[in-house]
Amino acid sequence: MSLDHIVTVTIGGLTVGMIYALVALGYTMVYGVLEFINFAHGEVFTVGGYVAAFTLFALGVSDQMSTVAIIGSLLLALVLSMAVPAALGLLVERVAYRPLRGRSRIMPLLSAIGVSIVLQQLIIIVFGPTPITMPTLGISSASVSILGARIRVLALVIITVSVVLMAGLTYLVKATRIGKAMRATSQDMEAAEMMGIETNQTIAFTFVVGSALAGIGGLLVIMYYGSLKFDAGFLYGLKAFTAAVLGGIGNIPGAVVGALVLGLTETYGVSMDLGFLAWFVVAGLLMGLYVQLVLAPKKRLQHISDDRRTPGYERSIANIYRLAPYLAVRTLVVERTDALRSVSARHAVRLMLGNLFLVVTAAVLFANGSSRIDTRWQPVIAFVVLMVILMFRPSGILGKHITEKV
Amino acid sequence: MGNVLELQGMSMSFGGLKAVDNLSFSVRENEILSIIGPNGSGKTTTFNVISGLYEPDSGDILLQGESVAGLRPDQVHERGISRTFQSLRLFGNMTVLDNVLVGMHTRTKAGVVAAMLRLPSVRREEAAAKAKAQEVLAMFPGRFSGPRQSDPAFSLSYANRRRLEIARALASEPALLLLDEPVAGMNPMESREVMEQIKELRSRGYTILMIEHDMKVVEGVSDRVIAMDHGVKIAEGSYQEVATNHLVVEAYLGKRGAGTAS
Repeated sequence: MSLDHIVTVTIGGLTVGMIYALVALGYTMVYGVLEFINFAHGEVFTVGGYVAAFTLFALGVSDQMSTVAIIGSLLLALVLSMAVPAALGLLVERVAYRPLRGRSRIMPLLSAIGVSIVLQQLIIIVFGPTPITMPTLGISSASVSILGARIRVLALVIITVSVVLMAGLTYLVKATRIGKAMRATSQDMEAAEMMGIETNQTIAFTFVVGSALAGIGGLLVIMYYGSLKFDAGFLYGLKAFTAAVLGGIGNIPGAVVGALVLGLTETYGVSMDLGFLAWFVVAGLLMGLYVQLVLAPKKRLQHISDDRRTPGYERSIANIYRLAPYLAVRTLVVERTDALRSVSARHAVRLMLGNLFLVVTAAVLFANGSSRIDTRWQPVIAFVVLMVILMFRPSGILGKHITEKV
Repeated sequence: MGNVLELQGMSMSFGGLKAVDNLSFSVRENEILSIIGPNGSGKTTTFNVISGLYEPDSGDILLQGESVAGLRPDQVHERGISRTFQSLRLFGNMTVLDNVLVGMHTRTKAGVVAAMLRLPSVRREEAAAKAKAQEVLAMFPGRFSGPRQSDPAFSLSYANRRRLEIARALASEPALLLLDEPVAGMNPMESREVMEQIKELRSRGYTILMIEHDMKVVEGVSDRVIAMDHGVKIAEGSYQEVATNHLVVEAYLGKRGAGTAS
């Protein structure tokens, strides 16, 4: 893999990741406050894209217009693709979720799926079933050269806009009065209410912010890819939700990290040739082995109490390890059997599952035949990554157990 | 001196269970009134109704002469009733300072747009709020000094978390402060310290309604005491009067116990 290829793929991955992040933030914020997955969030994203494209068409934007007029129209599209989804999010929360609050958990969930279907149908009714397209503009295809790679200007715009929005969101949540109210509401709604916070308003505001971010995501996607289908929200929504879970649902920085991991993995996954991938797998395997066999046992050894290290326990662990073929290598390389004994059975099982995953991936790659993985594998790779990460970190990359409300 | 809080025949039931039955009492300005009673006698329910969590089935609640019954909890808080909780309910993942700032939510008003633009008015309000929060925290000398203010609340010791809840409740300068078992789970030394602090709050002009099981504390700080049993007020008066009341003794020890005690 050459340098320019790496630059292209990395920026491509970051671009997709940032878009996932903008959508994922809405999932994770709403979950943080209500412990509820807003399945209609993907459709709010689609609406953002449609509103942006529609606005630009209505204004008759084309390259014949003056630069000022084009920038003005784009800004108007930006404002509308935030405002309309924000209003929609507010409406959905008020009509479909608030009346069900405090009921059993399944009810708002069903309501969300219902809203998602209704919104998709409404998009078809208003705009028709054919994908909506962007007016062709020079800026869509403009590119610059970075370290020998041709990079679309739009990719850089997407990354910049997303970073600015996320910085703004962080500031909003961390430092402002309403942000503190949001955090308080998410931790203990009843206590927040008794400390003077109007929780209904705070929840509505959370929906507004999340929907506005998703709306911008829609605008960026339609500018980047040129068109958007009425059901685009389904896959983007699912990916963004995956990213939110990957990073630790309810955790705002987690959603961004999860989205970037997902975006980069997907993009790298489908653009690496096998030789490079093989190195990647070997490196990953070595790192995994090092962590599991050297670091983890050392740490465990310090914690393990003497009464647990009975001969029976040691033998059972040793038996599990005999199943793992690399154990022989490991014993040959480093004689530290006492460290080995302290690896728990759970660790061993995880290790074996991890190896199974690598073998299956390799098999899929070779069965695929070509030197590159087909892009159709992209979602598959994404979900395999999700499963593997959650196997090792059940609460997500940045997720941590919230201290109990005692 | 007038009444800060007045309960008039307040009743509250859950399903068929009458948790509070026709309860009337008033809290006078700048006094400490304690409610005692066995577990399940309706003390915390009374607190929850006063703070707006439940709407009473009947009766009225007057704060400085105005009814607050049926208002939402945040509205009750804005009118001037703030509280602490029997089981701590701090915002664990927020910092010590932020917890107090949340307590001032109804006393600040910066809107979203103004806050994002960092308008001068917002900066002034934030600076004032921070200064006020630090002033409140300084009422617990040595407990929340300097860098500890940016520690997350969950990392504090149990006693400090209890103190922080009081600080959070004080941040809005409430007309009435409700303390739900402020010394629960504390050792005798810590209880004594909190007791002194509650007395100091009175000398600063606060009016306090308190639920407490620790009779030393009740005796030490209360101007007046109310005893409840099965949702009904069974005695009211000075600590000595209530503690020797035969209905109260009976409620705690049972009829036979009361018989042998007298």
